[in-house]
Amino acid sequence: MTAPVFILGGYQTDFARNWTKEGKHIAAMIREAVQGALAVTGVEPGEIEVGHVGNFAAELYAMQGHLGAFLVDVDPGFAGLPTGRHEAACASGSIALLAATAELEAGRYELALVVGVEQMKTVSPAQGGDYLGTAAWYELEAKGVEFPFPKLFGRLGDEYDKRYGLRDEHLAHIAAVNYDNARRNPRAQTRSWYMSEDHARGGGPYNATIGGRIKISDCSQVTDGAVAVLLAAPAYAERWAARRGTRLDALARVEGWGHRTAPLTFDAKIAESAGAPYVLPHTRRAIEDAFRRARVADVWSLSGIETHDCFTTSEYMAIDHFGLTAPGESWKAIEDGVIDFDGKLPINPSGGLIGAGHPVGATGVRQLLDASLQVTGAAGGYQVPGARRFATLNIGGSGTTSCVFVVGR
Amino acid sequence: MALDIRKVVVLGANGAMGAGSAMVFAAAGIPTTLLARTRDKARLGQARVEKLAKSEAISRFLSVGTYDDDLDREVAAADLVFEAVSEELALKRAMFGRIDGVRRPGALVATVSSGLSIAGLCAERSDDFRRHFLGIHFFNPPNVITGCELVPHAGTDPAVTAELAASLRDRFGRALVRTADTPAFCGNRVGFELLNRCAQLALEHGPAELDLLIGPHTGRAMAPLATIDFVGWDVHRAIVDNLHAHTSDEAHASFALPVYMDLLIDAGHLGDKSGELGGFYRRLGQGKEAQRFVLEPRSRDYLPAAKLAVPPVVAAMKRLHRVGRYREAMAVFADEPSPAAALMRRVILGYVSYGLGRVGEVVEQVADVDRIMGQGFNWAPPGLLVDLIGARRTIALLEQAKLPVARLLVDAAERGAHLHTEPGDPGRYFVA
Repeated sequence: MTAPVFILGGYQTDFARNWTKEGKHIAAMIREAVQGALAVTGVEPGEIEVGHVGNFAAELYAMQGHLGAFLVDVDPGFAGLPTGRHEAACASGSIALLAATAELEAGRYELALVVGVEQMKTVSPAQGGDYLGTAAWYELEAKGVEFPFPKLFGRLGDEYDKRYGLRDEHLAHIAAVNYDNARRNPRAQTRSWYMSEDHARGGGPYNATIGGRIKISDCSQVTDGAVAVLLAAPAYAERWAARRGTRLDALARVEGWGHRTAPLTFDAKIAESAGAPYVLPHTRRAIEDAFRRARVADVWSLSGIETHDCFTTSEYMAIDHFGLTAPGESWKAIEDGVIDFDGKLPINPSGGLIGAGHPVGATGVRQLLDASLQVTGAAGGYQVPGARRFATLNIGGSGTTSCVFVVGR
Repeated sequence: MALDIRKVVVLGANGAMGAGSAMVFAAAGIPTTLLARTRDKARLGQARVEKLAKSEAISRFLSVGTYDDDLDREVAAADLVFEAVSEELALKRAMFGRIDGVRRPGALVATVSSGLSIAGLCAERSDDFRRHFLGIHFFNPPNVITGCELVPHAGTDPAVTAELAASLRDRFGRALVRTADTPAFCGNRVGFELLNRCAQLALEHGPAELDLLIGPHTGRAMAPLATIDFVGWDVHRAIVDNLHAHTSDEAHASFALPVYMDLLIDAGHLGDKSGELGGFYRRLGQGKEAQRFVLEPRSRDYLPAAKLAVPPVVAAMKRLHRVGRYREAMAVFADEPSPAAALMRRVILGYVSYGLGRVGEVVEQVADVDRIMGQGFNWAPPGLLVDLIGARRTIALLEQAKLPVARLLVDAAERGAHLHTEPGDPGRYFVA
């Protein structure tokens, strides 16, 4: 990286909220997240030089586009703020972060606000499932299909099964760990829900199959949520640290990033990787790019990972793609308890998308915020003791857009 | 230090509170025995737990039994006996007498009573029983609503109270408040003061009009009189009668049950649970065909529900809430000159004043009353309302309304300090 980007702090709304039941417009979500981030960091609105919003489909869910402009509405101090909105399905938040970090590295601005937001409970589950289908190649993979994404990620599991073998009990463990971690996180959507490995292994009326091998317990949630973070170039970060009575080296920083795009359809992805060790080679490359840029020798120098577990199969994929095991052997890390909260390399101490929730366009920003809280010892009940370095993996579509950040201190 | 609770026995496990509480214990992986009068009733409780947990797997931690066949053996093996039978003093006391005879020394006994005197419930029990006896007041449904009051009596071993508090917080995920053993504890005392005052005001202003005015935009999930219908009029009467008989503070008159409610309860009107008899609201038929009626308290007749005009102050507050401008909405609340706004202020400021006034008597800190009103009732807590209105402005409004101004509120105004210190999004309480 040319110049480091510092993460000053941020705010996540309570992912258990239903903003439609509250009668709220998406503007309220953006407003609460931004005001929360300002309060946490003590930054004045007038100091912020640029704003980026990550969002997948507010046009569909909330009949509202042009989300960047809502930042200006938050505070008179934002008058004239340059803003924009970014979209790459479930990776929208990370794309907004990449835009902001690029501008800070280039020296264009010194202080950026990034917001990820999605309001999803405006529509029925079936309607929402159809909207999410636009993250795939809609006409080819989703049109007329009930809940297309569970089926696509079920196929990811099937592909593992075909190449290496896959046991559903390992997926059940992934679900149980994410729910268990969510109980430690006061902003997690499922923090008071019941889950156990027994339940996740079983079927029956309370854990029905949604598509292919994917059961309810394998799925992330339909979530309303907004997250705001403040990112700074070194000059501002130094002034801010002095003002806060802390030092620059006590702040979380983005150490590296990776960003790759695979073919959009799942068939094309699988055809491309046929015979190769990694099922999603572009995701693997995004991780390798980030590790190289951050000078991460191997995955064991991380204290933890916040990964994209839109389904248990995506976390299963992340385990070998991050290099916790050889390709196809993710089950070993699961059986050895490596990914558990107190394991050698905990995955999703926040609860991830399954436990904390998955407000699509907010997820990448939530992951980065959680990583920064972890490395600065500020994660509270879900703090990984002594964490110094975290990685995030945020995926759009069926493994199509892959974004990775390494956050350290 | 948290307690080592390895086995829980729930009495009255077929009821909503019994089953809901059992779910909380079983969800933490603790073997939990559901006891009821009959095995079928206990099994009903088990089905309720599964439904709440949305899981059949939770039954791995559940067993069932009856008072006649299984109580002695199960209670003898329990670390925590959790009583959730009907809210009748004699019944509860008889149950505790039996438990006292079979429990092992040191075993905890808790009642889920929503307001009976904890000291009174255990007055005739052994010393060891009394030292290990407390109130654990969950709110319904406890798997969703995490607010919880822990109520020791004067004879409870302080170490037991401290250890149980740690367990409730850390192991059972409760938003815990320790309260004094005073009538209805904190949440119901403060909450039913507002609810019953609304029931009194309905006589003059009409139930639907009042619910519109004191609706979700004032910081609650459900309007007050709809809440009484949901809670049940009989339960409401039991709580406010208890408060009226056993408290004598500035809100004493607020706890007098309106005569129209007394008469209607005796005629079987208990709210939602009494079907087509209804409460403040009555619905005949189902779905789109349903006809809706509203009580006219003076005549005790039900009139067809009319479409009411939304008062401008309500519309203005909702518009601001919708886009997240809560502070501006509360400025409208504080400043709007209409009679409707004045009535709204009278009700809400009474709640703020009464809630803050219980600090030092029922609970120790503002954070406690804020936590139980927020996490137990899902109402905007008094301290948060003060912060949004502004402490000085609140004091002026309270003085204008001739309501008591708590010393801590004056202190906060002088120091420019916030009263609300609870975590969580403040915006979640305000519904547009």
